[in-house]
Amino acid sequence: MTKNVIYWILAACVSMGLLLLAIGMADSVPNASGQPHTKHPGMLIGMDGAARLAHIGLLAFLFNSLLLTLIVCLCILGVSERYRSSKFLAGMGASLLFMLAIWWMMFSTHQNFLQTGDTSYFMGFPVPTAWQVYGTWLGAIPLVMMYSCGFRKFIYTRDDEEEFKTLLEQAVLDSQKD
Amino acid sequence: MEAYRQEIIVGSVVLYMLFCIATGLWAMRRTHDSSDFFVAGRGLGPIVVALALFSSTLSGFGFVGGPGLVYSIGVSSFWMVVISSTGYAIGFFLVAKRIRMIAELRDCLSLPDIVAARYGSDTVRFLIALTIVLGVMGYLATQILAMAVVMQAILSGTETFADIGLVTCVVISSAVLIFYCVTGGIIASVYTDVVQGFIMMIAGSLILMTAVSVFDGGMQEASAIILADDSEAIMPFGSAGVMASLGWFFVFGLGLAGQPHLITKMMMNKKMSDNRSILPMSLFGYVMAALLWISIGVVMRAAVIDGVVEPLALPDDAASTFLSIFANPFLAGIVFAGLFAAIMSTSDAFLNIGTAAIIHDIPKALSGKSVENELFWARVVTALLAAVAAGFALYSHYADATLVALLGAFGWGTFAASIFPVVAVGLNWQGATVAGAVTATISALLINFVVQLAGIVLPYGISGPLVAFVTSMILFIGVSLLTKKPELAPDIQRVLRI
Repeated sequence: MTKNVIYWILAACVSMGLLLLAIGMADSVPNASGQPHTKHPGMLIGMDGAARLAHIGLLAFLFNSLLLTLIVCLCILGVSERYRSSKFLAGMGASLLFMLAIWWMMFSTHQNFLQTGDTSYFMGFPVPTAWQVYGTWLGAIPLVMMYSCGFRKFIYTRDDEEEFKTLLEQAVLDSQKD
Repeated sequence: MEAYRQEIIVGSVVLYMLFCIATGLWAMRRTHDSSDFFVAGRGLGPIVVALALFSSTLSGFGFVGGPGLVYSIGVSSFWMVVISSTGYAIGFFLVAKRIRMIAELRDCLSLPDIVAARYGSDTVRFLIALTIVLGVMGYLATQILAMAVVMQAILSGTETFADIGLVTCVVISSAVLIFYCVTGGIIASVYTDVVQGFIMMIAGSLILMTAVSVFDGGMQEASAIILADDSEAIMPFGSAGVMASLGWFFVFGLGLAGQPHLITKMMMNKKMSDNRSILPMSLFGYVMAALLWISIGVVMRAAVIDGVVEPLALPDDAASTFLSIFANPFLAGIVFAGLFAAIMSTSDAFLNIGTAAIIHDIPKALSGKSVENELFWARVVTALLAAVAAGFALYSHYADATLVALLGAFGWGTFAASIFPVVAVGLNWQGATVAGAVTATISALLINFVVQLAGIVLPYGISGPLVAFVTSMILFIGVSLLTKKPELAPDIQRVLRI
């Protein structure tokens, strides 16, 4: 399946392109990307969050879900085919689920705030924003850990090191012949 | 101590600049050929590479523009920062290993060298070199101007230099930059980056501590004040809205692996296996330094709304106003030194890759060979490039901002859209073709250029670089699939399989 990961990447990019097109063609909302603050020059305000998401909320949610999928597919592409074991793919799948779960929590708690106007706080920020600040930062940590901890298993094994040394020696020999 | 605030700040900045000059002199002794000048002889340790990588990522924009953006558009701008873990992860998964292998195997000095080896094409080499030169001019001009403006603001607060002009500040700051870059090349650049990185981390964490003490209720009170004024500003998509935010996630997150000044540093480590520690160290450093971006921005927006601070003349004044009101003089000194560090660490990286493109890559693409006596010309062109960029900066400031703004459009977004598919995907997919690479690069340049030049505003805050990036990815893969599968050089084929 991962032999054709490039097709998954292409499919994700084409889908995101189509979503951008759909968002561009959606009914417009005045000042959807902010308007000047009435009292403080230099500040923009967002005003009615529910109205800004009314026509594009679902499309935006899908766009970022696809982006997170694209990120994991690209990381899979970066690993040699022979090391894409079921263990590695399970780790990548878990990383994707983790990032999607954080994205869902951010989006749904924001939706909840838009409906109720109430929010609690976590470490200095309203809960939806805390999901964004801390969650997005932490969301890719499984990928970082897979790279660092799995470096000798998936990224650059001892065999790879030997093969590269041989390749370098061959290059030196070839240059001496020339 | 408060009476000596300006003197302490000026002293910190002067000390930092003297350190840069000393590093340039030290590195000159270690620079024997163009390989030393451009890629530090591929002999750097993991801590040096990690600090150089993150400090080059966070430019003066992060220290001045970042807090200003939070002041202006709220949480929207957080998206440029919180994607760092994703961005670094993608960069290391896709680029770090293979760029380092090809660099050693083919003795590459620059990113265009790498793509020429990968695709066996001087056309792709030329296009990437051209993109780099265009981007470098815009980036350098804005960085030099920012450095001079900050220097003028600091010096004009003292009695001795109260009337100092902007031209003098451009000359002083450019002279220091040119000196250590010309004498020590990339070796001076990365070792100053190490100190610059430490300063930025310390500044970021100290600023966070100061920021949370501005309001009795800490950051939560600041958030609550912003929420009461305009809830969207402190909600996850900020004032600029969901598509602007997600666009930044895409362009800044994926795009990190397409920034030439960053991925070139991935060619410089001594041991390939160091990559596993470089990734978490770079990420940690970036997060520490980026605390400044978020904390100053939030506190200043809340402070102005709450009436604690007068409204700012410009959003970019957020950082300097915060420092003058809330930070003690020593902290202000460290942060201003950190600001110069952030600007210089990015500028020296751009000077290096721009020089390589001019004396090494473009001549090689056009005539098949680079200039003779590369080390000498590298030094000459480094000085000239910085001088021309300084000229652009002054021209932009006094006469017409259009040119630099136009070149500035060839910044992060253009690098991301035109270089990411060709390098990050191309180094991991044997099916990538020259036609795919050329189509992707040209389309990215054109879309960014047209959107900027025509002043096109897309609905819902969708940005030009986002459209360019998605388009170039589709075209790169699509055209490569439709064109004849390339015959790669045997050594490159083996590298792509490892």
